Amino acid sequence: MAETILIVDDDLDILELLKMNLEPEGYNIRTANDGESAVRSACENPPDLILLDVMMPHKDGFQVIEELKNIKDTKNVPVILVTARGQTEDKVLGLDTGADDYITKPFDLREVTARVEAVLGRTRPIKYINPLMHAMGDKFSEEGLQQLAGHLQAAAAIQKKLLPEQAPSFEGFDIATLLQSSTSVSGDFYDFIPLSETRIGLVLGDVKGNGIPAALLMVMIRTALRLLCHEEDTPASILKRINDLVVRDTEADLFATMVYGILDITNSTFTYSNGGHCYPFHWKATSEMGVLKTGGMLIGAFEEATFSSDRCSLSPGDILVFYTDGITETETGSSEAFSKNENASTSAVERNMFYGGDRLATCISKNAELSAAALCDSIVNDLTVFSGDTNTHDDRALIIIKRNI
Amino acid sequence: MNFETTIGKQNISILHVEGKILGNAADAFRRQMNEQLQTGRDRLVVDLMNVPLIDSSALGAIVVTLKSCQRSGGKLVLLNPQKTVREVLEVTQLNTVIEIYDTEEGACAAFI
Repeated sequence: MAETILIVDDDLDILELLKMNLEPEGYNIRTANDGESAVRSACENPPDLILLDVMMPHKDGFQVIEELKNIKDTKNVPVILVTARGQTEDKVLGLDTGADDYITKPFDLREVTARVEAVLGRTRPIKYINPLMHAMGDKFSEEGLQQLAGHLQAAAAIQKKLLPEQAPSFEGFDIATLLQSSTSVSGDFYDFIPLSETRIGLVLGDVKGNGIPAALLMVMIRTALRLLCHEEDTPASILKRINDLVVRDTEADLFATMVYGILDITNSTFTYSNGGHCYPFHWKATSEMGVLKTGGMLIGAFEEATFSSDRCSLSPGDILVFYTDGITETETGSSEAFSKNENASTSAVERNMFYGGDRLATCISKNAELSAAALCDSIVNDLTVFSGDTNTHDDRALIIIKRNI
Repeated sequence: MNFETTIGKQNISILHVEGKILGNAADAFRRQMNEQLQTGRDRLVVDLMNVPLIDSSALGAIVVTLKSCQRSGGKLVLLNPQKTVREVLEVTQLNTVIEIYDTEEGACAAFI
């Protein structure tokens, strides 16, 4: 997800100017034009950084910082003070109060961008370990931060190693994969598990949330799958076992969605079970589009979850496309879609704010003649066209399996 | 994202949410629901009529709150989710464990 900057200034022209300057850099921008609403906005949904004007009527920038530093959810949000006054005492007072940096009006827009990036660069590692800090509560010490940042890097390295470097090759099938991560550790994952000479287990999933807890759960699930998956087990029984394992070992708000299936090369069938994951597409060479729905609930939240399996046959030219919601939830870059008269009764997808499953299905149908790798590229290109942005703000995973003609 | 809570008959809390519930916003959503539980109101209706989209973090908030309500003998039901949100509930099959109603009367009747 893109980082969010809250800009606070009582001068609407400056708000607009800063917004226009920072938005193209890939940040989400929120604005507030007085101290009171700034504090409210920051508490409701803490941003990654606040650009804060000092001289505002009623509640000035210093008071805003003081309030935010006393609130648990906002005390770690970095603040850059912006002011027309250039006096040293203001700077000192600002930095004393807990501001992270200082910009004096009139400012050079390039300087603003550089300072924003510098402050975010410093605070980013801390943000990733915040979930863990919350979990550890008062036992957590500031000194532990650096150590944890190191652990995080190690975790990211382990995670990279766990993911298959390249798609495996099976006789008669053309396979392509994609994994993009918005942060150093990702919740999206896939794996290919060899079961026999002619059968391969395939999993693609998404662990809720991101950061370390999600990555740890992902590693746990991946390891469990490798140990549990045997040829004789049905996909439904595998998902049930993973579900029970995760329910037992984690809190209720950690869960995953995933599809597990077995590709049999001898009779070109795919036997699968879908644990609450976005329905994979089955494009048939007869130009029909099917979805793989059979399965059960999302994995790891409910002990009582049950699962079932289903089988589909792959004819020559048929394509299976597995994906995570980072693809279908890609937001549009076109400003037209964000009409001011938001009508809540029309859904976001209907207003084409999000990429959505229908557009993905259309993209697959249009490019079904291509190789798996070229189809994968076409989907990525279509996402870029849709979002108007080459930066990935979400984790995205994609597996394409095409039976050779 | 905006919230408004109204208290209906039989001490049922109705939480009206407006806006997308994505990423960090789910924490605020969870806090709002939790506030009700903290004050002993574990009969909760979450009105999703004005929520165009939710993600897995929001689902996490719903699952956790649902379980807390169940533990204390209460209940959480959803009111009027729109097409995209309804699809997410269907795909994850959360609709099999959470009751979903189209009208406020229907949702409140669920507690009788």
